[in-house]
This record gives sequence, C-alpha cells and structure tokens, in this order.
Amino acid sequence: MPSSMGPRRRAVGLAMAVAIGASLTGGAALGQGGSVVMLSTQLAPEAEAQKMRDQILGGFAGSVDFVTADPGSVLIDTVRVEAQAGSGEVSLLGGLHGELSTLGAEGLLMDLSDVVADLDVSPGLLELGKLGTDQQLYIPWMQATYVMVARRDALEHLPAGADINALTWAQVTEWGANLQAATGERLLGFPAGADGLIHRFFQGFAYPAFTGGVNTHFADASGVAMWEWLKETWQYVNPQSTTYGFMQEPLLSGEVAVAWDHTARLIEALRTSPDDFVAFPVPAGPEGRAFMPVVAGLAIPATAPDPEGAKAVIRHLLDPATQGITLQQVSFFPVVTSEVQAELDAGTQAELDAVSAQISAADALPALLPIGLADQGGAYNDVFKSALAQIIVEGGDPATVLAGLAPTLQGIFDATGAPCWSPDPPSDGPCQVGTGG
Amino acid sequence: MTRAHTLETPPTTPARALDGPPVPEGPPPPRRKHTWRRLGNQALWYAAAIVLALFIALPIYLIFVSAVTPEADRYTYPKAIVPSALSFENISFFLRASGVVDAFWRSCIVGIITIVLALGIGAPAGYAIARYVFRGRDAYRLVILATRAFPVVILSIPLAVLYRQVGINDSVLGVALMHTTLALPFTVLITSSVFVSIPRDLEEAAQTLGCSPAQAFRRISLPLALPGLTAAAIFTWVLSWNDVFAAAILTLRNPTLPARILSSLTQAPLHFQFAAAFVMLVPSLVVIFIIRRYLLGLWGRVVK
Repeated sequence: MPSSMGPRRRAVGLAMAVAIGASLTGGAALGQGGSVVMLSTQLAPEAEAQKMRDQILGGFAGSVDFVTADPGSVLIDTVRVEAQAGSGEVSLLGGLHGELSTLGAEGLLMDLSDVVADLDVSPGLLELGKLGTDQQLYIPWMQATYVMVARRDALEHLPAGADINALTWAQVTEWGANLQAATGERLLGFPAGADGLIHRFFQGFAYPAFTGGVNTHFADASGVAMWEWLKETWQYVNPQSTTYGFMQEPLLSGEVAVAWDHTARLIEALRTSPDDFVAFPVPAGPEGRAFMPVVAGLAIPATAPDPEGAKAVIRHLLDPATQGITLQQVSFFPVVTSEVQAELDAGTQAELDAVSAQISAADALPALLPIGLADQGGAYNDVFKSALAQIIVEGGDPATVLAGLAPTLQGIFDATGAPCWSPDPPSDGPCQVGTGG
Repeated sequence: MTRAHTLETPPTTPARALDGPPVPEGPPPPRRKHTWRRLGNQALWYAAAIVLALFIALPIYLIFVSAVTPEADRYTYPKAIVPSALSFENISFFLRASGVVDAFWRSCIVGIITIVLALGIGAPAGYAIARYVFRGRDAYRLVILATRAFPVVILSIPLAVLYRQVGINDSVLGVALMHTTLALPFTVLITSSVFVSIPRDLEEAAQTLGCSPAQAFRRISLPLALPGLTAAAIFTWVLSWNDVFAAAILTLRNPTLPARILSSLTQAPLHFQFAAAFVMLVPSLVVIFIIRRYLLGLWGRVVK
C-alpha cells in the first residue's frame, strides 16, 4: 500500500505547486494598470456587456476595463469598501439613479460640474443627477422606460373601438376578458416574480394614472380604486405572473399575449419575431397616461485612481455618435438633446416608436423615480410588493391592507426626510402619505 | 491488518442479496412462491432506486436540454423533453464570453488551494480532538462551530476592507483563504469523527512493532482515514465551487466563475443561464466521480 501512495502524493504536490504558482501570477496580473476600470450594473447581461466592450467603447481612444456587477449590492459595497480602505481601483461607475443616489447621499461621489459644459445632456435629466444638491454627482448616461407589448394575433380581441396607441387601463381589463373568452386562458402578464419590476408598475404607472400621485394618494379613495381595478383585472392575468422576471420569455413562449415591462426586458421578443409582436404606449388612467422614465448615470467615486481618464470615458459615452451606437446595439435611448443617427433593427424601431408615442401623448404624465430615499429604496419598493402580495395573492381587502401599510411607508419618509417628488405635489419636510377618504 | 477485519462486517453475517432483504437460511419455501415474492421485492427495490436516481438526474438532464436547445425551438411551449437537435451555440457563446475561461480556471485553482489548506489545517485539528484529551476540548469544539455563527453578509465589508489594506483583494489566494475559513469548521468535525472511528489500538500495535508515532499515523491511521478525508475534500470543493457571496465582494477584475456568472447572467436570457448552469455543473460532477473511486475503493480494499 505505501508504494501505491507515492505517485498519488507526487500528483498532489504537483497540483499544489501549480495552484500556488498560478495564484502568484494571478496576483501579478493585478499590478497591470493603464486602463480605466468601469464598474457597472447597467449593460451587465453577457450579450450587452460584449457589445459595450466591442462596439460602444470600441471607438474610445484609451482603454477601458468594463467590469459588470450584479444588480444586488455589489456596486454599492465595492465603492464603500474602497472608501473605507482609503484606496480604490474603480474609476468610473455606471448605475441606476437609485444606486447612485445611495452613494451620493453617503458622500462617496465626486462633483462632475466641470464635465457638464462639454456635453449637451437634456437639462431635466441633468437636474436628476444633482440629487437635490448643487453638485453634479452623476451624469445621465442613457434612458429607458416601460412599454406594453402584445402578440399581434391578440389585437383582434381588442375591445370595440379601442385604439392601440391610446388605450385605457379599463380597456386592458376588457381585453383580458375577451382573450379569456376566446382562448380559455388568462393571457395578460406582469413581471411580479422575484426579479420582476412590478413595484415600478405601481410607482410610475398605476398609481399616477389612477390618482395623479403616488405617495400622497397611497391609501386614499383613489388609491383603493386603483387596487380594486387591479384585483378585477387579475382574474385575466396569468397566475404564473408571480414567477415572471422578464416578460419577453412568456411572450415568446405564448404563455401571455399582452404584457407590461421594461423596454430592455421586452426587446428580445420584438427582435426575435418582429412580425408576431407589437409594442405600444402604456394605457392611461383617469388622471392621465402615466409612465416612468428610467435613467442610468455615470459617476466617479471619490477614491477613483484615474478621474481624468474616467471623465474622458464620460465624454465619449455621451457623444451623440456613441449614443446612437448605444441605441442601436443595446436599445437604451439617448439622453442628449442633439439628433441621434442610428440604423435600427425592427425590434428597436418598434420600441422607439412606442416610447416616442408615449412621451408625446397629449395626456402624458411623467412620474419620477424615487428621490432622496438613500438606502431605503429597497424598503420603499417592498411596501408596494407587500401590497400586491396581500391584496392580489392573498385576496385581502385593499382599504384595510393599504391602511396597514401606510405607517410603514410614512416611517420611510420620516427616517430619510425625503420630500414628495413629481407627480406628487412638492412638500415642505418629509412627504406625507395619503390615507383614508 | 488482521485487526481491521473486526472493524468491518464480519464474514459470518448472513449473505445479503444485492437488491433485497436477507436471504433466509434453512429449507427453501416452495419454489414458485419464493420467486414471486423475490420478484416483487426486487421490483420495489428497483423502483425506489430509479426514483432516487431521477430525483438527482432529472434536473441535470433538464438543464442540459435547455442548454443545447437550438435557437429556433428556444421558446416553444411546452418544452420538448428530447431536443430536436443538439446545438452548442449557447454553451460556446458562454465559453467565448470575455473572461469566462479565465474565471473557470481561477475557480478550479481556488478549489484546489482551499482543499489543501482546509485539510492541511483541519485534519490535524480533527486528529487532536479525536485522540487527545486536553483542557477546554469541548469548548474548543463549540468555538470552531461558532465561526459559522456570524453571517458572511455582516463580515463581508470589513473583510473586504482588510483584504484591500493587506493587498490580497482580487486574488485567487484571497478567495481561497476565505473559503478555507468557511470550510474549516466542517473539515475539523468530519475528520475528527473519522479519526474517532479508527481504534487507537491499531496505532499502539504499530508502535509496539517499531513504528514512531508519526509513522504509525502515516502508515495506519491515514490510509484508514482516507475515505473520510476524501469526503471532507468533496465537501470543501463543493463549498468553494459554489460560493458566490464571498467571491463577489472580494474580487473585481479577477472573479471566480460563480462571481463572473452572477455579474453577467442574472439578467441574461434564460438559455444563457442554462448554458452557464451546465458549464458549472460538469466540473463538480467530474470531481465527485473522480473522488468517489477513493471513497468506495478504499473501504473495499480495507475490508479485503
């Protein structure tokens, strides 16, 4: 037996030597500098990251190491760690408004006011990047929003006289009922799974459309009316909706025929079979055609080793030509005011048309992303998800459930001191949650 | 080695049919009845074995099918159980993606270093707990487990700050050290129970025959403990291969495979996720199949 152990032990020794040697070379590779390290939660999916590296950053004169972070806490944690350690590796951040506002509130971002002069970013969006301060804490990078997509063969079941580009949410309910009557299946769909963005549906679409606000009408009569509508509509919604993250998949597989979601989470359906799907503006409620623009921004952490290099990358990414490539490659819409030229595939074109129709609708009602919630953004979203779980999944009475959740919501505003944001009227001091009749 | 026989099933135990209850001794019952009952029992045993195998194999098979489904059938619903054609475009897209192959090797190296460190530190500690009575032994046992009482989530930021200050952030060695720490409590507990099961008499007997304590350990206890150590190694490998949380916060430009997958695939279309799942599954299966030979083979050799 001892003789049989010999070669095996040698093999183990060899493996160890290889492992340790490799770990040392791995460490040595760290020392290589020269490129700007960009950490981003945006364009993180593999296919998009490739396009970012090859096409969007391809025209940049310097070298950028584009590192992706999952949408959890990795981006925020990494910046915090580098700040605490007193030295950083990341020079440029790409994130959502919510992520960057958390970092901005902690004082971890540089002021970028000097870069703004070189760019022609839309002034309204630039204002968002100030996070309520007089400093430019992030520069808007690209934007997206949410639209509706339907299977073309579902259009024949539209309620009589309905215009696909000017639907109301009440007509969607009727549409769902017609579809169920014709096919026997519940064919409306919402991304209400763990990875889904259903909370944005309430914050930027349903609440503003039905109540004209969000927080100031959270539990009042108009808020309750919105939930009553959803409860009625849900009988035509595919029950699998509570597992959906990205609506493009159930649309493509035929599990649902009409869906609401983020443009980036619908594009695969429109690209894969542009003849089978139509994109159209979100429906309107009694108060208007509410929609939420989503803004991704670029920021430089206070510990950035190469802020000048990072600023050069910002200028490149916001060049109208690059913005055109970005739209063409990854279907995120430009933030610059100048005309952007791009040859688009049928899917992106369909989304662009829907988004344009949505923005320019006579009854358009833009609703902002939450502002000033700092690290309470997740807790804020959870309030809306809890309401969905308690009212729709468990069948609770909307008025009772909302009255029960209102103190939690108020607690978030009191803790952060966040004033109301549009379309709620501005408030002095923390936003006051609307309750009762 | 003769004493080793007594550790194992003595040869006097009634022989068991491979797939059934003990075959009764004495005069056989009427032949036909016996055959029917045996067939019934066999069927039951096989059915149970098949259910158990399916429980493990079916999800793996479904991942495989989803990973090799060609683009045209990707969204057919309901999904086909047998793919219409084998297409490796998803898997090859994933493997060609920037940094995936590097991350794959990095994960392998982290796993190997973790096994070496965890067994190198954990096995002697387990041996000490099993063999020696010392003051505070019970407390020591508890304290080992207590290291797992602090969630990694809470430790992660201070740990990452420390790593940066020391300069081992974003390196294979750094991740391996973290995984070793996570694996050690289990390695110590598994190895100590392995050494407890090996009678001390064997080592003492070897010493009376001229072995030094170290030789007695190396020639007697270690070979007998090898299957147990192998089990600990499998456990350590799986823990290291699966860890995503520590790896995600401790690495940036040099991620391990799970960290690389987490950052780029949580939002990717399902077929890429399945391709990644398949690529992650294969090495674990290979490692388990290789190590499994030692797990079973060595017991067999000792019994013989």
